[in-house]
Amino acid sequence: MTRILNLDDIQGNVTRAYGRFSFPFARYFFLHIETPEAGRKFVDAARRRVTTATRWTEGTKPPVTFNIGFTFTGLYLMGLPTRTLQGMPEAFIDGMKARAFILGDRDVTKTEEDAGNWCAKWDPIWRDNRMRGVGGKNDVHIWISMNAQLAEPGTDTPVPELEEQTDWLRGLCDDLDQKVWIMKTNGQNGGEEYQAASAVFDTLGDKKIPTPKEHFGITDGIGDPVFEGQYPEDKEKVAVIGRGKWMNEKDGWQPLATGEFILGHPDESQELPPTAQPPNFMHNGTFMVYRKLHENVSTFAEVVGEEAKTYAATMGVGEDEARETLIAKMVGRWSDGVPLARVPTYDAWRAFRKEKGFEDPDPLKALGAMRAYLSSTEVSNFRYADDLEGFKCPNGAHLRRVNTRDYLDPLNTPGSKNPKATTQLNKRRRILRRGLPYGPDHPGGMTDETEQGVAFMAIGASIFRQFEFVQQQWIQYGLDFNQGNNTCPLLGSHDIHKRHSIPSDPASGKPPYYMSKLKTFVETRGGDYFFIPSLTALHMMALGIVDPT
Amino acid sequence: MPTFDTGHLFLTFLSPIKQGSTSDPTGAIVSHEQLVRATLGLLPTALQSPATQKIGENSPFARNRMTHLCRMFVLEDAVYNGRNPVDAICESLQGRDPINPQRVDRLNCAYLVFCADVDAVMDEGESLPETLDAAQQARARDAYLRKLWTTMEPELRLIYGNCTGFDGVDSAASFAAYMAKCQIDTTMPFNDYWISQPALSNLPTKPMLVAAAVPAVVALLGLIGGIFGMEKMFLLGWLTGWGAWGSFFWGAVVTAGVVYGLYRYVLANGQKPMPPAKYGDLPSVLKSLYLQQHFANFVIDQQGRDADTLHADFDDFLKQHRPGNKMAPSQAPGVISINAAGGVIEG
Repeated sequence: MTRILNLDDIQGNVTRAYGRFSFPFARYFFLHIETPEAGRKFVDAARRRVTTATRWTEGTKPPVTFNIGFTFTGLYLMGLPTRTLQGMPEAFIDGMKARAFILGDRDVTKTEEDAGNWCAKWDPIWRDNRMRGVGGKNDVHIWISMNAQLAEPGTDTPVPELEEQTDWLRGLCDDLDQKVWIMKTNGQNGGEEYQAASAVFDTLGDKKIPTPKEHFGITDGIGDPVFEGQYPEDKEKVAVIGRGKWMNEKDGWQPLATGEFILGHPDESQELPPTAQPPNFMHNGTFMVYRKLHENVSTFAEVVGEEAKTYAATMGVGEDEARETLIAKMVGRWSDGVPLARVPTYDAWRAFRKEKGFEDPDPLKALGAMRAYLSSTEVSNFRYADDLEGFKCPNGAHLRRVNTRDYLDPLNTPGSKNPKATTQLNKRRRILRRGLPYGPDHPGGMTDETEQGVAFMAIGASIFRQFEFVQQQWIQYGLDFNQGNNTCPLLGSHDIHKRHSIPSDPASGKPPYYMSKLKTFVETRGGDYFFIPSLTALHMMALGIVDPT
Repeated sequence: MPTFDTGHLFLTFLSPIKQGSTSDPTGAIVSHEQLVRATLGLLPTALQSPATQKIGENSPFARNRMTHLCRMFVLEDAVYNGRNPVDAICESLQGRDPINPQRVDRLNCAYLVFCADVDAVMDEGESLPETLDAAQQARARDAYLRKLWTTMEPELRLIYGNCTGFDGVDSAASFAAYMAKCQIDTTMPFNDYWISQPALSNLPTKPMLVAAAVPAVVALLGLIGGIFGMEKMFLLGWLTGWGAWGSFFWGAVVTAGVVYGLYRYVLANGQKPMPPAKYGDLPSVLKSLYLQQHFANFVIDQQGRDADTLHADFDDFLKQHRPGNKMAPSQAPGVISINAAGGVIEG
């Protein structure tokens, strides 16, 4: 009997990655609250627009969505009681900037003083956020997201309702005499009203088609966790394969406990996640990390190109094969999303693509085949306990770091397979990934300096236990994977640790390969931690009746 | 004796802090407890964070290669955990009124606590012993304490000068003797240098069960025979010829004896120290850190080289880094890597 959730009370971005539901455009707004009174009026108007997790039918799917979240300083400016505020988790109270040392956003080999102006590359809105000594006048308080559907299939323009809703938001701030105002310091130039984001589009003839790729050309957003109550029971049975927790041969994949992602529900340790008083204020709410992740596209191409030459020479393969293989061995999937755990070699991959119809001469058919594959269970249904040495998928690859699956089972021993391995040590470290790429969609013109990357969001009941742990221990460090200080080849900081090891099955007669010239490919441009309240909590905030007594 | 386990000594010392006032280096009047806290607060830690690396002054405990981990702190008093729970009905029947406060346990004075996990050897680099009796443990402890005195006497004088009974200490031997008086048993050691599962002394549960079950069955059969008025023990009487009540009595006596013996055996087995891990001594740990870092660099440098070059260069690697010599070259204690300032002990 699966848990039935009050979907009308939960914000829709918690249960849905909108990009996967044909919303290829987004605008992320950040607002500042001047007075609690204006804040309450703002929330009272905004809450009526919020897109909930209610299941959509053909007629009820909105053209544009609306979701809202608050930083800790935002909740403070909303005038919440001290007893409620002091019950909030310390990571959330600190905010993302103060956690830079933990997240690896600040050079961990320097003191804060010596790191100096470490966030110089951040967007002005995030650089000025939580600045000491200015009384919080530039603090980000509210996050609002709008995701929009395509106006016409085959084009790359959003529905007009996106701009209409944006106008409504501007008007609301005007009505409140700008006592709640939209911060217009987004972007590297600090002159944008919102952070725009959009899927990367492919051009096929005169048609524009949204793709699931980000700007390195890697397929993204596969294998998001599935939790109890997220899907109707019949859909859950399929969705959970490779995306829930692996129990054993008999029970197979099971959905993760709701409380891992939504507060007020039992979690994977069979407890209620801690919440502030009163419990109904945080019930059905959750926490969200917003991170603008810049992609150094030129550096990525250069480094992979250079390493590919060495790899090609060492392994006796062509440079194209070397390049594709290296990217796959860094990511854990081939660039089209096919997992190494299932299709481990280049030749097998080429054959697999043919067999699946990805290389159909008709590009629309090929795209259709690719889409069908990406929404099948095949793309997520694999484990690592049959590959403890990382011969198929390297132990330090991005995919194995961010979702360790059954690799950390305590009884796993290198050199032997462990068919009984489970995902028990992974189930408390999962995050729901949301967001879209941002920046231009014309692959020819991108450099490190142009604005492109991923507007990344991670949702979970505990920012500290889930997102921060994964970021600190698994992305910026390698001990759990026997990789020493090596960081994630894709997302990690490579200012100091520049290596990634690619094991090789001795039976193949080929030596292992060590990438040793990695540079930092993904850099943070700012962000913060947000509380995503339930609809009930939004109403309580609007009425000013949050009562912890 | 959990003070000794896995070839390590887990030492715990409680030294009483002097009562009354003294003056600190600025001439201000402070208590000895305040002064020892201030001294400990200024004692440098190991160079394992950017801030401590910047200060550059390493922990005095990094002057020896026996200390894995240690900690000094002031134990001001026993922690008060509130009233002892009592049964309200019993209390009222005995006429005790909960309005009267219970006795609160207190320490007779504040103590300086020193805990250390050290190699149980007479000198740095010796291999870890499997077992040590009490006298041998005391000798290894004294060797460690003498090492501390010879490497960090000024710090120890500043710290222990605030402790009762320390005033006469003026040599390595007298420091060891003083600390021996302050030692208490460690009850819960912790150690983790295992690279494979240790050879545990598991209990032979099946033979133990049989040893206890046989006399118990005899007693039971004797009892059944006795109850039913049989002359011999039930079922097996024709075979043994033992009388019913006699079997019961002697069976029960032997069962009790065996169970008590097994109980003692289980406790004694639990008291056996775990064997040392193969590379669990500090010089080996440091050497392995040193080799790991150099070998990783070596592998990167050699990538793609032909077999002859690799063979020749590996020969150089062995000559330069001497994997067989755990003392040198090696990583220095108290630093984060061989790249840190003062990170290498040269050969």
